[in-house]
Amino acid sequence: MVITLIPKRVFKFPIEGKNISPDVFVEKSAKEIAALEMWEGNRKRSLGELFDIKNDSSASEEFTIKIEGDVSKVRNIGFRMSMGQVIVDGDAGMHLGEEMSGGAITVSGNAGSWAGSQMKGGTIEIKGNAGNYIGAAYRGSTKGMNGGKVIIHGNAGHEVGCYMRKGLIKILGNVGIFAGIHMNNGTIFVQGTSQGRAGAQMTNGKIVLAGHSEDVMPSFTVDDIKAKVKVDGEKIEGPFYRFIGDLADKGKGKLFVSKPKNPYLSHYEKYLE
Amino acid sequence: MGAAKFLNYSTHRTKTPLIRKNGELIEATIDEAIEKAAKILVDANYPILYGWSNTCCEAQRVGVELAEEVGGVIDNTSTVCHGPSILGIQSAGISSATLGQIRHRADLIIYWASNPWDAHPRHPERYTMFSDGRFQKSTWTNYLSKLRGEMSKKKIQRASNLVLKRDFCFAPQVEDGLPYGVYQKRRRTIVVDVRKTRTADAADCFLQVEPGKDYELLQALRVLVNDGELDVDEVAGIPVETLEDLTDVMIGCKLGILFFGLGLTMTKGKHRNIDSAISLTRDLNNRTKFLIMPMRGHYNVTGADIVSTWQTGYPFAVDLSNGYPRYNPGETSAVDILCRDEADAMLVVASDPVAHFPRAASKNIAKHPLISIDPEVTPTTMLADVILPPAFAGIETEGTAYRMDQVPLPLKKVVEPPEGFLSDKEILQRILQKVRELKKRDIN
Amino acid sequence: MTELIIKNGFVYDPLNRIDGEKMDICIRDGKIVKTVKDSAKVVDASGMVVMPGGVDIHSHIAGGEVDTGRMLRPEDHVNDVEVKTALTRSGVGYSIPSTFTTGYRYSKMGYTTVMNPSTPPLQARHTHEELADTPMIDKGTYPLLGDWWISLEHIRDGLIEENAAHIAWMLKAARGYAIKIVNPGGLEAWGYGRNVHSLDDVVPNFGITPREIIRGLCKVNTMLNLPHTIHVHTNNLGQPGNYVTALETMKCVEDLARKDRPVLHITHIQFCAFKGADWRSLSSGAEDIAHYMNNHNHVTVDVGQVVFSDTTTMTADGPFQFGLYHLTGNKWVNHDVETETSGGIVPFRYKRSSAVHATQWSIALEIMLLIKDPWKVLMTTDHPNAGPFFYYPKIMTWYISKAARDKLLSKTNKRAIKKSLLPTIDRELSLYELAIVTRAGQAKALGLKDKGHLGVGADADIAIYNINPELADPSKKFVAARKAFERAAYTIKGGEIVVKDGEIVKQVFGKTYWVDVECARDHCRTTRARANADIKKKFKDYWTVEYENYPIREGFLHSSAPVAVKAEI
Repeated sequence: MVITLIPKRVFKFPIEGKNISPDVFVEKSAKEIAALEMWEGNRKRSLGELFDIKNDSSASEEFTIKIEGDVSKVRNIGFRMSMGQVIVDGDAGMHLGEEMSGGAITVSGNAGSWAGSQMKGGTIEIKGNAGNYIGAAYRGSTKGMNGGKVIIHGNAGHEVGCYMRKGLIKILGNVGIFAGIHMNNGTIFVQGTSQGRAGAQMTNGKIVLAGHSEDVMPSFTVDDIKAKVKVDGEKIEGPFYRFIGDLADKGKGKLFVSKPKNPYLSHYEKYLE
Repeated sequence: MGAAKFLNYSTHRTKTPLIRKNGELIEATIDEAIEKAAKILVDANYPILYGWSNTCCEAQRVGVELAEEVGGVIDNTSTVCHGPSILGIQSAGISSATLGQIRHRADLIIYWASNPWDAHPRHPERYTMFSDGRFQKSTWTNYLSKLRGEMSKKKIQRASNLVLKRDFCFAPQVEDGLPYGVYQKRRRTIVVDVRKTRTADAADCFLQVEPGKDYELLQALRVLVNDGELDVDEVAGIPVETLEDLTDVMIGCKLGILFFGLGLTMTKGKHRNIDSAISLTRDLNNRTKFLIMPMRGHYNVTGADIVSTWQTGYPFAVDLSNGYPRYNPGETSAVDILCRDEADAMLVVASDPVAHFPRAASKNIAKHPLISIDPEVTPTTMLADVILPPAFAGIETEGTAYRMDQVPLPLKKVVEPPEGFLSDKEILQRILQKVRELKKRDIN
Repeated sequence: MTELIIKNGFVYDPLNRIDGEKMDICIRDGKIVKTVKDSAKVVDASGMVVMPGGVDIHSHIAGGEVDTGRMLRPEDHVNDVEVKTALTRSGVGYSIPSTFTTGYRYSKMGYTTVMNPSTPPLQARHTHEELADTPMIDKGTYPLLGDWWISLEHIRDGLIEENAAHIAWMLKAARGYAIKIVNPGGLEAWGYGRNVHSLDDVVPNFGITPREIIRGLCKVNTMLNLPHTIHVHTNNLGQPGNYVTALETMKCVEDLARKDRPVLHITHIQFCAFKGADWRSLSSGAEDIAHYMNNHNHVTVDVGQVVFSDTTTMTADGPFQFGLYHLTGNKWVNHDVETETSGGIVPFRYKRSSAVHATQWSIALEIMLLIKDPWKVLMTTDHPNAGPFFYYPKIMTWYISKAARDKLLSKTNKRAIKKSLLPTIDRELSLYELAIVTRAGQAKALGLKDKGHLGVGADADIAIYNINPELADPSKKFVAARKAFERAAYTIKGGEIVVKDGEIVKQVFGKTYWVDVECARDHCRTTRARANADIKKKFKDYWTVEYENYPIREGFLHSSAPVAVKAEI
């Protein structure tokens, strides 16, 4: 079953899209789907008022919602989904896949901040760039991402994996500052550059920076040089400096930083003799 | 500063309500202005109600109710000021006190990225360096001695230049590490900042930190406070030996207090700088008594946060557009909403966002209807479609405000407002009433 | 002249000894009266239980500490929201609800009076502002006076009368209802990061002991003739083995007992009823406490019932809260108040699977059930410390139904089950006794003469619950009983129907009670005047606010309800 949603117009105001989820759509008739509640700013709308809806029950794949067009103002697409697919052919708004526990979301364009926030399972793949707070906990909470996978082909912003507890975030482009801040466990991999302060205040988990990093926190201590490091079953070629930290938080997290891409870190080697 | 607020407060005030017609601001009656303001808000799909920090709690309470009624976002100046401090507190908590505790007990005062000499001039006199407490005396005499010492040095220097035609060679300061002053058994002050401020001149010790490296410095200090070791020789431009000395001074005090300013909240790291500073003082509490406090600016921004929190659960950036409070700075904060151009109307109370917001945000304020409740002419009022000049809160009307340490204070009415001037609270109540009338009409 | 008649309900009014009698209650202009005209509006309470509106003697709902807790925990609110309606404001829960939500949720359970149990006097204005935005209930607050420098100095110098005069000033300045004491002496020690550990530890810088503070303020309370007793959160709260401190605290004022009424109220006593040397060996001190309470009449207590939930701890006990931070690693707020007191906040989760938490849960129930006289022991959760207040209906079913509590006990930690006395306790509170511990007894302990009963002259604050004691035994049908307590069939406040079938049908705002201590004779006027002058003189040296800005004008209160008392000094 594939249900395609096409925005009827350009959205200016924030659209609350918590109901755009396979779990909500499944078992509902076309009429019921069109009547689903959404918000446009402070006006209550129905899904049918905002989107053209096409049903294709002949398609044999798992339950799929396809969104064609710019939905960068639509927030919470895939909220709490546990199965099925969501395919966004365009840009997606903030809180993509928030609290999801299963299923898969793919975005051909960019995604906003808080993608994968508090997710427990499933996968999110963003072909373009993503914002800040990927896989993060809600304000005040220490419970970030607890499972699942987020793959970003482009760049991501700041505080990726904030309070992360489990799962994998893979960024093939660059990240901003504070990747893995307050991390409690899980894995973050960054292929491109990091603007610095990776692993700040982390207590456990693994961060792999395969590119240039602006700095390494002074509260991390160098532990070893590793030729390779394993990420998501794959062996990434190093060599990597391995740091342990954040010592300020009695952390035992492991921060791997590419040796060839960060020659300024060579002064740490005196501690490894 | 306070006297300036009181005297001459009325010289540049707006005299009547104004409404923009055909591009021009023309005089209107209060009822016309209220009607126009209410209509703007009722029609709006995503209005922002912003400001609030320069008015009293009674008005702030009506503000939240109005934002809820029109389904808008209510935000206050924390969003461009100490919002990061609140985010830091929500992550790490905070070990704090009312200012009297500092006056009575603090023997170590640290001003970090804060320059009270210029920004909060009463602060050192009332609460810290020059105040007298039950258990700690003022360091006024030490400061005078220090001043005298500096003046003597200047005189000798001048004499040397006049007579000997060269500079005088003072004996080198045999000071390895921190200045002797910080080890004395009296109230001591340390300033940590990116440049030497006037507060630093008066302090016992000044530590210059590399700009944008406060976070690294705070985390490094935490390692040292927890008896750890650092792999590096210096952090943020300060040698690690000096940091170890500083750690000893902090641990060795009877009660320490860290005051921090916008230099921490608005530089790289923002709320994480505060998170780390709070964590540092929390870690210090395992060894001695240590407190931390933000140096807040706008006189009732603390009140705005407090009122918003008790009515909605959240201190600022509260989105009420879906009928219940939602909070997520970065998403629901005024500057970010404006940068994304998602708002279609704005009500500004006692504030000047057009002047103070980043350009990307303020240029979008002009695109949509703007209501300003402000006694004076400002860049914001110059762009407004409706201007409602209120009586000055705290001078012409009474009310409640909160000090930076959350102590509530009554504001007294000192003079009567001119004829026809309503308080912020009354103006907002009238707009709220009109909004309800218009909504009823729309339904029928 | 609004008249109302509640017809045919099963009325439980313990203060007037009415035990389930089928009778009518008449209301006119917000008061209970003998008769009303035939034109009175009728509320048909047939087949339903009619009780006085609920009274809560100790619940943290307003003020600086509560608001800081709210601000600290956006994650506490995000999944528990209240949408704005035509009649009600929007808001949030969960363990620290916003003020409007607090009022509505209490009202829906049939509660009509709630007392905020602690306020630093310097910040009392804040408490009253928040109470003004808390609808549906009558309220009051207790200023924290146990570590007030001026009190400590008077006690040190043996000047009890002087102290009484100063406290009379303070109660009026802060518009407070009772003398609140928390970890006496400990909070002053916490000013420099220290604590006291027994009633006879010396408080640094003042040279007095907690015992002297408690006794001194107990005497002051009697001298001022206050309607409530001193309200005490004991030293050593939350420490294994602290039941000894609770007993000592009760004993230390035995000789100050009055014939006609208690002189001491110990709050959330569950937290001070721990036996054992450490957390591993933690066990219940409930039996010892109950034994003492059963043999003495000068103490009342409220239980502080634990519920297995995420919640937030917040008390004036700064050192205790720091200890909780160490125990949990959760974010920690500390707020010391100059000259007066301190405070702390730490999020906390009580788990069924934890031996310690399950034991705490059991201790509170044991205390309620082992103390024979229900007038001495009142239901609270020290909201939100042991749990959010909207668990009250559940707790009420544990009181009236052994099956209900045994069912939950069986799901808790095995070690706790082995230690618990609950399997041996068959007692089930009757609806009459339930009415005592949730309303009549609370009002009586508070000295609020027009609350907690349905006699002529009482405020018309009434709760009607859809429970028919003739048809279904609530101790067996406890799930239905819980639902009935959660959603009152009717809540009547000041003679107006404000809740129907668990929904708000009218928003009202209640009164704020505070004590106005008047002078009984001329010589006390001089003592008072001297006290006022003394405070004015000392002000600048003690506080960092101006003397004129400290006292709260009566007009500042949304609806002031002074309780006048005549004092001997």
